[in-house]
Amino acid sequence: MVMRLWVNGVEKEVQAEEDTMLIDLLRDRLHLTGTKKSCCSGECGACTVLVDGLPFRSCITPALVCEGRRVETIEGLGDAAHVHPIQQAFVDAGAVQCGFCTPGMILTAKALLEKNPEPTEEEIVEAMSGNFCRCTGYVKILDAVRSLVPYRPQEKEEKG
Amino acid sequence: MEKSRKEKYIGRRMPRRDALVKAQGRAKYTADYRTADMLWGKAVFSGMAHARILRVDAAKAEALPGVVCVMTAKDLPAAKKYGIFCADKPVIAENMILYEGDPIAFIAAETKEIAEEAAALIEAEYEALPVVEDPREALRDDVPPIHENHPVTGNAKVMAEVTLDRGDVDAAFAEADIILEDDFETPQIEHVYLEPDCCIARWVDDTDVLEIVAPQQAVYSTLRALAPVFGLPESRVRFISPYVGGGFGGKEDSCCDLAVIAGLLAMKTRRKVYSEFTAEEVFRYTGKRHGSYVHHRMAATKDGRVIGLDIDIILDKGAYQSMSGLTGGPHAVAQRTVLYAAGPYSVENVRIRSRAVFTNHPYGAAMRGFGAPQIHFAGESQMNELAHRLNMDPVAIRKLNMITPERPTSFGQVLTEENGLGLEECMDKVKAELDKPFMPKHPVRPSQRRGMGLAAYIYGTGMPYKSEGAMCVVHVNRDASVEVGISTTEMGQGAQTVMAQIAAEALGVPVETVNVPLPDTFLSPDSGPTVASRSTTFVGNAILDACRKLLAGFTEAVAHGVGCSPEEVTYAKGVFAAPDGQEIPLRRAIYMAATQAIPQSAVGIWYPPVDIGFGPKGGNSMHTYSFGCQGIDLLLDVETGEIELLRSVLACDIGHALNPQLVEGQMEGGAVMGLGYALTEGVEYKKGVVSNDSMKDYVILGFKDLPQMTSIIVEAANCMGPFGAKGVGEPPLVATAPAVREAIRNASDGVKLNRIPFTPERVITGIYKAKEGGQTS
Repeated sequence: MVMRLWVNGVEKEVQAEEDTMLIDLLRDRLHLTGTKKSCCSGECGACTVLVDGLPFRSCITPALVCEGRRVETIEGLGDAAHVHPIQQAFVDAGAVQCGFCTPGMILTAKALLEKNPEPTEEEIVEAMSGNFCRCTGYVKILDAVRSLVPYRPQEKEEKG
Repeated sequence: MEKSRKEKYIGRRMPRRDALVKAQGRAKYTADYRTADMLWGKAVFSGMAHARILRVDAAKAEALPGVVCVMTAKDLPAAKKYGIFCADKPVIAENMILYEGDPIAFIAAETKEIAEEAAALIEAEYEALPVVEDPREALRDDVPPIHENHPVTGNAKVMAEVTLDRGDVDAAFAEADIILEDDFETPQIEHVYLEPDCCIARWVDDTDVLEIVAPQQAVYSTLRALAPVFGLPESRVRFISPYVGGGFGGKEDSCCDLAVIAGLLAMKTRRKVYSEFTAEEVFRYTGKRHGSYVHHRMAATKDGRVIGLDIDIILDKGAYQSMSGLTGGPHAVAQRTVLYAAGPYSVENVRIRSRAVFTNHPYGAAMRGFGAPQIHFAGESQMNELAHRLNMDPVAIRKLNMITPERPTSFGQVLTEENGLGLEECMDKVKAELDKPFMPKHPVRPSQRRGMGLAAYIYGTGMPYKSEGAMCVVHVNRDASVEVGISTTEMGQGAQTVMAQIAAEALGVPVETVNVPLPDTFLSPDSGPTVASRSTTFVGNAILDACRKLLAGFTEAVAHGVGCSPEEVTYAKGVFAAPDGQEIPLRRAIYMAATQAIPQSAVGIWYPPVDIGFGPKGGNSMHTYSFGCQGIDLLLDVETGEIELLRSVLACDIGHALNPQLVEGQMEGGAVMGLGYALTEGVEYKKGVVSNDSMKDYVILGFKDLPQMTSIIVEAANCMGPFGAKGVGEPPLVATAPAVREAIRNASDGVKLNRIPFTPERVITGIYKAKEGGQTS
């Protein structure tokens, strides 16, 4: 069937079946390959995207769940000319190694910071804890998120 | 930490050049190149770990609409087996299943769904055979050999046996004041790179070339291993490795397992083929860190000197060679367990034997540390036991025994200060950090006990072979921008960034103008595999060599142009200065070279200037060694066996940190991987079939498990390294498990746990047994 959703602010009409997962819709039908496919069982967090601002595991989320909703992927945050402050924070902190977990980490951090611009250390760890990384040992990812607190994206964007 | 050096780029915390594209989702990994017109290539497996194949019938699968091609063993066009060290792994199993990852058929279909449906239509019959899981059991006379006709070992049970026999071990044990004897055990470990293995292959019709894109750590190793399977000369198979989503040693081999599927199906169908393993399939079918069983005997004097070691190591080889090594060489994991059996200590009398024994498990492959974590778990645990027995400080006893210019390695290699000997500084700094007051952030429960421990390590940079060297091509364009051609994979470690720093520094050009393309066997020279913590040192030195050659040529061009001798021309920061005061910018010098038949590209090469040759009586193995010390501070709940990590303090002597931010990244990631090795990880089996095949059941550490992490960079420069560097990729996890063991021991009044991972069940059992006065394990 044809479903309608907003992806990175753009309205899309796209074919989806009941068993189409959101990740496959994004990667295969909309060619948004920034969302990474790893465990395919909702365990690792690499495929995290935001649905109406909340982190969703796109590998276990049926696409049809997103009918009429706003989906935000890593491509929606910025591009070469417009670097989002969270992306810049990850670059500056050295929080990126192989990069496969990075889009999911950044989107999870975004959901946290937009809801809670001044999270405590415990709140950061709690919010990020469903995302796994095998390269960094998490230290610099935490550094990146901490560096954004208090989170005032507009201000930082203007500075940047 | 930051020293005042004259370098512009070296030693700086430069951001990775691939960080932004990765943070924006623009970096392309292999699966991101898949398009809808590609066939779906799928391997079919038996679901059994040991069986004789009686019949495989693909007729129904072939008849399914949408299936383009089905291959079984009889359809293979050329070599039927492959492997990086020796061709022993069947492309498609014909008669025998020796582990669950032996495929019985390949299918190419128009869609994934059709391929899966076709896989279910493959009919096969097997005769189930007894599954051998424990290599010690495999050695028993009443257990039949796993291989009936192995291309190297025939029907032998031992794939590789490596020994080291020096001094008089029996005499040492006879005169020892103290003898410690114990057994240690470590499981097979999955790499858990987040990017599952996948591959795209296509036949390039106009040039008769097979082109394969896959995440790989060693494009030239893959090429050499697989060209015979395709029946093509190496010059007509092109391997490309885009960004790699983590490797940790696993993607030396696993890429071969995928490339044979996609490659053969692409050759046969003349269509583009995509093939992948799901995360579960990666757990079940790809290589693992070797499991180990170590019997360890240590002879020491009452003042704390280790005078003899008698160690027997049995490695779980799994079903195929992969990276255990061959008895006749090249040696690999089996040899490293021997090399590092004495740890970073000088022991004169050693008798060490390591055997890699076939089982029906997934093949024992390379994984970060390559045998060192296994043997350090035994050796460093014993060193801590010796300290306890003598009531000595664990750092003091290590200093008493450590390798010094006067006291060579157990294999007889003399290391001087010029090689970089930073162990003492590492240990002092870890101890000082652990001694600082630290309070847990929450109230400590009455059942929680505090414990600290440390362990040390040695780890060589590179591989102990005469063929171990690196090549590169550095090309300078007319605008003085630079291309560095290397086959080093970018799998997260930051190779592109460091290599660009090295080239920019050496040539005196802005780092932004240096391009380091990703590996492609049609374009990149062979700079060796991206393994063995070797790239910065070996490939970096090759780049320096190429840059020196280029500058020598440009200097000659300038000298000829201005009419002086080359010795009179100086070069700094992009400008040549002639004796008459003329200043010639690099761009102009390049043009002058181009008009004087002087090359603007140079092949750089580096082999360590050390006589490498390890044998049963010892010998030089690597040109330099990294050293380090891991400290652990934890809380142990003596009622539940649960461990809460408080602090991890890791000091690594890495020669010179060319980019300290990247070095810290390796150290932090390595320490956490090591903590997982100690606490939670281990592949589990039911009848040889992997039972914890997901991240739900195979637990790696996450944000919530993190202790306070301290990374201390120690710089005992390697006189042969580029700017003093030595390896850092693997060493950070080598000493973690024995440090955790020691912290648990100290938290629990002496409970000795000799088997990792230290799960709550094992810990509580250990505590219970200790209370009863029995043996712990």
